[in-house]
Amino acid sequence: MVLEAGIEVRRGDVIVAAAFSAGDRETLALLGPNGAGKTTIVESIAGLIPAAHGHILLDGVPIHGLPPERRPIGMAFQDGVLFPHLSVLENVAFPVRARGARSRAARAHALDLLGRLAPGIDPGAKPGALSGGERQRVALARALAGAPRVLVLDEPLSAVDVSARAELRALLRRTLRDFDGPRLLVTHDPVEAMTLADRVVVLEDGRITQTGTPEEIRDAPRTRYAADLVGMNLFAGRLTPLEAGAGALETADGVVTVPWPDGVAVDPLDDVLATLGPADVSLHAARPEGSARNVVQGVVEEVAILGDRARVRLDSSPRLVAEITTGSAGRMAIQTGTLVWASFKAVEVHLMVEPGAADTL
Amino acid sequence: MRARLPLAIVALASLGAVFVLLPVLALFVRAPWSRLGGALSGVGASTALRLSIEVSLAATAISVAVGIPLAWVLARGEFPGRNLLRAAVVLPIVLPPVVGGVGLLAALGRSGLVGRWLHDALGIQLTFTTGGAVVATTFVSMPLVVLATEAGLRGLDLRYERAAAAMGGSPWYVFRRVTLPMVAPQLAAGAVLTWARALGEFGATITFAGNLAGRTETMPLAVFQARQVDPGGAIVLSLILVVISVSVLVALGGRLTGIR
Repeated sequence: MVLEAGIEVRRGDVIVAAAFSAGDRETLALLGPNGAGKTTIVESIAGLIPAAHGHILLDGVPIHGLPPERRPIGMAFQDGVLFPHLSVLENVAFPVRARGARSRAARAHALDLLGRLAPGIDPGAKPGALSGGERQRVALARALAGAPRVLVLDEPLSAVDVSARAELRALLRRTLRDFDGPRLLVTHDPVEAMTLADRVVVLEDGRITQTGTPEEIRDAPRTRYAADLVGMNLFAGRLTPLEAGAGALETADGVVTVPWPDGVAVDPLDDVLATLGPADVSLHAARPEGSARNVVQGVVEEVAILGDRARVRLDSSPRLVAEITTGSAGRMAIQTGTLVWASFKAVEVHLMVEPGAADTL
Repeated sequence: MRARLPLAIVALASLGAVFVLLPVLALFVRAPWSRLGGALSGVGASTALRLSIEVSLAATAISVAVGIPLAWVLARGEFPGRNLLRAAVVLPIVLPPVVGGVGLLAALGRSGLVGRWLHDALGIQLTFTTGGAVVATTFVSMPLVVLATEAGLRGLDLRYERAAAAMGGSPWYVFRRVTLPMVAPQLAAGAVLTWARALGEFGATITFAGNLAGRTETMPLAVFQARQVDPGGAIVLSLILVVISVSVLVALGGRLTGIR
């Protein structure tokens, strides 16, 4: 199952245009700032907003002429949009019953889905009684209930408390991975895009500015937005305590010293994510003196110029992207092949503690 | 802290309250309590009451059945003349009911625009029949359920219906399982107001359907009739209507006005 879309949608005075495809079992993130037109695009794919021009194909078969109820798309809406007058169970059974299934069969199917995605939520409860995270779980179950061939998740974490986010992110990862078909993830959160998606479409002001794997975009972002948000260093690994207040994040290609997260028991933690802004990495010709806890050496693999900033990719351990001014890059004569030192402070590393890894849930 | 009200406001409010309550109080004071039973049977209270309930319920049922689609068209439809249609739907609220009755006669009377055809082709005559009383009552009371339901539809977040469509719901299924249940409170309030208005309908009914005991003589018409021959009986009939109306209002509490 492959989804191909090339559409132009009018939204007020703005025209949102996008062309992309999502392959079978591929998670494609639509990443962009609020108001970029991400939701407009997926709602147009779902048939909720008419497209001015274009095509939407599923395995080559056009679906853009179909009314929304006949498009095989399962959508989890931003904020859930659960029906407030129906119970959790009836909400999840809705897509099944809407397609003509008997109430009893639909409820059994809904209960099964709820058991897997939202255990511990009373199926008889009304959506108004649920937390943001619980609502999103129910919305996820409802999106899957109609056995869709394309799964669309619109900002699945935006209405969720920070405390519930890590667990839900793990559930999203597992749900996306297990879904047999193209998956679209709408998000304004680069970490969500980088950790959940196979490929990322960057959307700004109604236009696609870049498409690529998370690594490709991180290494060579084409716009300021992509550079600022997607172009972050992302570390993932096992966090073990060091001396007071610090920890060691052991990634697959190197160790990063980080501050120990507040309010988290001093025990080793698996599957911890952390980000580091490229501008927080300084480059030096000689081994730097000073207080930075993380100092590594590496060869410059690539230099990308974006305005007056130079993004420098190092083959250090761990691999790093640093962003410096073109002026200082010139002074240090940085080019592909140069051997440099990089340093960054532990406090610049932002941890996203994610208790309970994807596969332990 | 309780609000301290200016004396002038309290005084004017008291005046307003007395003004509203005085006629009701007078009905209780002047009722012929000693010969209640005789007064009731003398004016045919039970016949008029049964007819009133039948006519008002029938008018409410028709108003709801036609009023929901009308409200939907007014709230969601985009067509030229929509505001004109809304004005026409609301018109019976501001029109003197007797004018409504005259209009109905011109349209549906035996020699009326449509009434002539109804009579000649189908043998249907509405004037001087219970059916005519229902038609006149519906004409006057339907705007209330239309307006309440339209307000509910306008206040409804469109995302729910869009989500329902994306979940595979056909337009009719979405209307039945999402739209209608979500505006149920406003619809119910509108239906109750419609029924209350129907119960009190007088002018259009007497003009269009006449005043025939057992066929078109509902409670308000019976009050009017009794007043000319038996003022005590008129008071008793009025009291019955007061008790029914107050009971409904109290039972529904603040739900009608949306104040809780």
